[in-house]
Amino acid sequence: MTDRKSSISSSLSRRALLRSAAVTGAGIGAMSISSISGFEFVSRVAAAENPPIGTWPEGSKGSTIYVSISVPRTGAYAVQGEDELKGWELAIEHINEGHELLRKISPKTKKGVLGKQIKAVVTDSGAKPNQAVQAHQRAITENKAVMLTGSTSSAVAVAANKLAQREHVLYLAGISGSNDTTGKDCVRYGFRQNFYGETAANAIGPVLVKQFGKNKKMAFMTPDYTYGHTVTKSVNDYLTKNAGWTQVTNQVSPLGAPDFSSYLLNIANSGAEVLINVNWGRDAVLSIQQAQKFGILDKMKLVVPYQIPFLAREVGNGLLAGVYAATDYWWTLEDKYPLAKMFNEAFVKKYGYHPEWGAENAYISFAHWARMVEEAGTFYPPAVIKTYEKGETIPSLVGDVKYRPEDHQCVRPVFIVKGKAPKEMKNKEDFWEVVETIPGEGLMQKPDAFGCKLGDYT
Amino acid sequence: MLKRRPYLITFLTAFGLIIAPFVLPHLGFAPNTVNRILVWGLFGIGFDILFGFTGLLSFGQSAFYGTGGFVAAYLLTRAGFPHVVTAIFIGAIAAAVVGYLVGLLALRRTGIYFCMITIAISEVFFFVEFNPLSEWTGGENGLPGVPAPSFDLGFIKMSFTSGWTLYQFLAVCYFVGIVIALRIVRSPVGAILSAIRDNPLRASAVGHDIHGYKLTAFVIAAAYAGFAGGLLGMMQGFMPPDAFMFDTSGQLVMQSAIGGIGTLFGPLLGAAVWLFLQDFLQVALDLGAAWKLVLGVVFVLLVVFLRRGLIGGIADLYNLAFGKKTAPAEESPEMDVAVDAADEPDVAPMPPHRRAPEGYNGPILKAIGLTKHYGGLAANSDIDFTVNYGELRGIIGPNGAGKSTFFKMLTCEVVPTAGKIVFEGNDITGKNVTDVCQLGLTKSYQVNQLFTHLTVRENVEVAVLAEMRGKFKLDLFGNPDMIPGLNEQIAHTLAMVNLIGRADTPVSALAYGEKRRLEIGLALANSPSLLLLDEPLAGMSPRERAETVKLLKSISKGRTMIVIDHDMDALFELAERVTVLQEGRVLVEGTPAEIKNNEAVQQAYLGGLKEVA
Amino acid sequence: MINWANFVSQAFNGLVLGALLALISSGLTIIYGTLGVLNLAHGAMFMLGGYAGYVAYNYTGSFIVAVAVGALFVMLVGVVMERVIIRHFYSRPPEDQLLVTFGISICMVEIVRFFFGSLSQTVPAPAVFSGITSLGFMFYPTYRLALVGIIAIALLVLFLVLYRTRIGMIVRAGIEDSLMVDSLGINVYRIFMLVFGIGAMAAGFAGIVNAPVVSITPDMGESILVQTFVVVVIGGVGSFPGAVIGGLIAGEIISLTSMVNPGYAYVMLFAAMTVVLVLRPYGLLGTQGRE
Repeated sequence: MTDRKSSISSSLSRRALLRSAAVTGAGIGAMSISSISGFEFVSRVAAAENPPIGTWPEGSKGSTIYVSISVPRTGAYAVQGEDELKGWELAIEHINEGHELLRKISPKTKKGVLGKQIKAVVTDSGAKPNQAVQAHQRAITENKAVMLTGSTSSAVAVAANKLAQREHVLYLAGISGSNDTTGKDCVRYGFRQNFYGETAANAIGPVLVKQFGKNKKMAFMTPDYTYGHTVTKSVNDYLTKNAGWTQVTNQVSPLGAPDFSSYLLNIANSGAEVLINVNWGRDAVLSIQQAQKFGILDKMKLVVPYQIPFLAREVGNGLLAGVYAATDYWWTLEDKYPLAKMFNEAFVKKYGYHPEWGAENAYISFAHWARMVEEAGTFYPPAVIKTYEKGETIPSLVGDVKYRPEDHQCVRPVFIVKGKAPKEMKNKEDFWEVVETIPGEGLMQKPDAFGCKLGDYT
Repeated sequence: MLKRRPYLITFLTAFGLIIAPFVLPHLGFAPNTVNRILVWGLFGIGFDILFGFTGLLSFGQSAFYGTGGFVAAYLLTRAGFPHVVTAIFIGAIAAAVVGYLVGLLALRRTGIYFCMITIAISEVFFFVEFNPLSEWTGGENGLPGVPAPSFDLGFIKMSFTSGWTLYQFLAVCYFVGIVIALRIVRSPVGAILSAIRDNPLRASAVGHDIHGYKLTAFVIAAAYAGFAGGLLGMMQGFMPPDAFMFDTSGQLVMQSAIGGIGTLFGPLLGAAVWLFLQDFLQVALDLGAAWKLVLGVVFVLLVVFLRRGLIGGIADLYNLAFGKKTAPAEESPEMDVAVDAADEPDVAPMPPHRRAPEGYNGPILKAIGLTKHYGGLAANSDIDFTVNYGELRGIIGPNGAGKSTFFKMLTCEVVPTAGKIVFEGNDITGKNVTDVCQLGLTKSYQVNQLFTHLTVRENVEVAVLAEMRGKFKLDLFGNPDMIPGLNEQIAHTLAMVNLIGRADTPVSALAYGEKRRLEIGLALANSPSLLLLDEPLAGMSPRERAETVKLLKSISKGRTMIVIDHDMDALFELAERVTVLQEGRVLVEGTPAEIKNNEAVQQAYLGGLKEVA
Repeated sequence: MINWANFVSQAFNGLVLGALLALISSGLTIIYGTLGVLNLAHGAMFMLGGYAGYVAYNYTGSFIVAVAVGALFVMLVGVVMERVIIRHFYSRPPEDQLLVTFGISICMVEIVRFFFGSLSQTVPAPAVFSGITSLGFMFYPTYRLALVGIIAIALLVLFLVLYRTRIGMIVRAGIEDSLMVDSLGINVYRIFMLVFGIGAMAAGFAGIVNAPVVSITPDMGESILVQTFVVVVIGGVGSFPGAVIGGLIAGEIISLTSMVNPGYAYVMLFAAMTVVLVLRPYGLLGTQGRE
């Protein structure tokens, strides 16, 4: 590391000093030209055919490669962030040792990726886009990270998307439910595995209509950022168009609000029959607990269209009994999918609890990436991207999936779960019952419906 | 410190910026960290002008940082505006405009109120960014995709994307920023800002429109913040909503205080320390989230023990090591020689700067029926008072006779409850002290009102500037040395009050008698036609009194003066006519001889003396 | 969402919020009025009260003990802070006081974060007040109803201390004229310490009684601090009745705006402050004396 850095700066210094000995302004101007060519000079010697791009080939020269993980470990989404982080850690461990489960997903994997061991640079994003971008940028310059990941909110995912495109380093979205992540803010260098607003809405919509009937009045609670707005819009559009439901109020709250009383009073007085709570993380927990204290859960049916890891554990008191939710994964799916069973076993062994969907998404998106790099035979980002874009059907923990070349969204099933009352639970982690499995193809919008333009490879 | 050797500081800054990329990596600084430090440093320059130089502590700078950043980022992303640098400038201008509007409101109050209002304002900007304006600002998402600057010079295309290439662009920005700030600090406006910080009351009393100058400083700070905000978005390719958060303002305040306020470079140093410790504590010492606690403790210790931050501490160490002592406060024997020299004043008299309307030849000052009530208490009632040109009038009266209130009404520091004041034919009732000073009526205070952190010469300069430039002028890049007659007038004033030998001494190092002379010098510096002196002899030793009486005599040549004092002997020696106040009314008026023999006066004073005893 | 029932519900909710703001603001304002120090750590003290109470609750399981510990612990912190640090700042410029109290608030927040982490913690409402009360036109959490009463009692006690005791008399005299108190030959330093402690206790008490309503987090003090500033500016710096009235006005503005659009609640609060500043620069009940 240090050797390389000093070789760059010394090659810089010799050239630059010659010129900047002159006047200040002119000196700085001159440096910019010389240092650009300085960088290119160093890289060109090492590169074979393709011109260097992003952190390639610098980042994959040694026997160890770095990936940058920036995830909320403080703030309103910290609980979910820690779960995701465990998924990534487990995936890295499995990749590095060539674990059996991983080889089922990425058959060419031996040990590591193209024989190189992965190391993670883990930082706390606090669910703030700014902190995440700073951390990734640092990992790119300091560690020459070959891939970025992390996010428990779409605000972070969108910002990281743009950074990835600018820096030409791959970004795999962590939890991100906004339509925009692979919609209007999609990028060539970004990929998303998990389900999102539109697929959640199209999956849970028919179930809600079947359960509650037509022409219902619904109230929304929406967190004020891209995830919240797009999920609310997708769910609202589905229910109004297909079942004649009407939205009587939409209470938009900032991320991390401690007191939801004003919002809840508006809902209590709105005459709604169904409360659709799109809040996330701690906000969801608090808003549901407080809704119960305002007597709202007795009057209205609660729906959580986008399931939140640990929600049932944190809310407690059986408040979620009978509540419908759409989700990416729930551990009891292991009865149906053998790879899910292997994953659960490895996870429980290491961490002592059953993984939530944040960990599942983290694990499988890394495993898919490892597969793509092995298939491409190089870390050269455009080659890896093109391998994803072949759109081949590949295994995941919940059956076969594929990535759409047009928007880099994984086409994967969505599961509808229903909260169990405490007395129905078979063990203390048996919170949800999987009631339906809906294949991904039918749930997704046309690739260009949300204005996705992927941008350039280089 | 910043005012001397202007070229050296500029040169050292340029040198430091050029060698930084070759030195800092060896100290463990990544290029992105250095870039971030530069943006904070630039942000902090404006804050330092506002807080360090003008004394206005704002916790609301994030509002302008965010405004500039989002305007620039919006233009570059959503509006498709192609020129990065122009967009950043437009952002800075937008921030300055917003700063002007916010300043109009926040500067209605000073001190703690000002601080609270700025905090509230910054919070509101955060909410506005999130809700009403989220269509434009992206709300919680911020605005991703801000491009990096590139210049097509025809023969070569230079683009500054990240790392050390972006550093070059930011370094040029910082350099320009610091050069501009140095010009502002050294300009007449800069001198006045420092005076406002030290003593806003006196700064307005010597004739400066301090509200205008405060607003100027506020707008400058907002413009710097807006510019830095634009650079932030460009630097990370993403304009974060966090820029608007109160934390950002707080971090700026802490960094500036750690580095040292009133130094311009303090915020840069503070940011370097902050970001370095943040990495070092988190990564090297593995303290995790506790890094901020350590920084908090460091900050509190610095505020308690090192008032001027690290740069101040370094400067003190330097002075200690190289024995640069300030002159002792006691008057040294050499001063005695100077005092003796004053016995034979060879200083030319300083004629008043005539401002009266053409052809006016009534009395210089006429007060009719002047009355002041505080609640139910009458401090002055129905005072009629006339002073003619060239007169040296004394005012005496026992304690509580209302002398000071009377003076405050004449200088328009206090609005009379009833009555009228006419100065050189102008009705000045209800005007403010600044306008009255500009008309040529000044006062020296009973309790010294000096600019305590400035030197003697700088003190006088502030007062002279008011005469030379009027109450408000925006010569931000002006050089005081280029103002014709300024240095002469300063030297002349210093000679009049016999402080030439102490010109470069800080006020805090002066002896009491010297401070009193400077107090008079401040009132004298803009060559007033009417000079009011509130107890000029108070607290002086007999020798100092004798000396000051001589001084007063010499400055009274060609000038009208009104003097309040308790020292009746001195006053009777000085004044041509004396007015006696008692219980807020004029008791009697006459020549010293008449007053001495007046029975009513003796009566009043026996009572008064008893009171004093 | 404007209908009669919702208006009444929100107005009532505003009363709860307003009462809380009134209590915290009176602590801030009497400290400022007497000592001339604007305590930027006041929000952190509110937070500290919540955490002290939380710890006490976990050890004893008694809400009463939690409230007592929360209030007294913060009072103690206030007294120590005054003795060790603030005392040396009376003669320094107000800017230094702001900087040091700001630094102290950062330290307090980070110490709590160090021991308890960033995750929110909850203190359950006492059993008597748990559950829901039907007010006819609406359901309302019982504890929030009780909270209005609890805070009203606290404000009454504060009122009695300020207006019916010798200490209170001195404090109010000090607010009007700090020089006068000096000349009365009273040991000002002891009074200052006591006032700082009482002001801090008001914040700590508010922190723990509010804990069952929301969950407590290390950074909960910051937003409440800003709101108390607005309250104090509206009510008039240094005025106890001003803080109470300002608090209630602020609570109602936030709640009633929320009825239309919660996103504008704080914008409206600020707009109200602006109007007050333009029309009555010293606040509704403030006097020109203090600046």
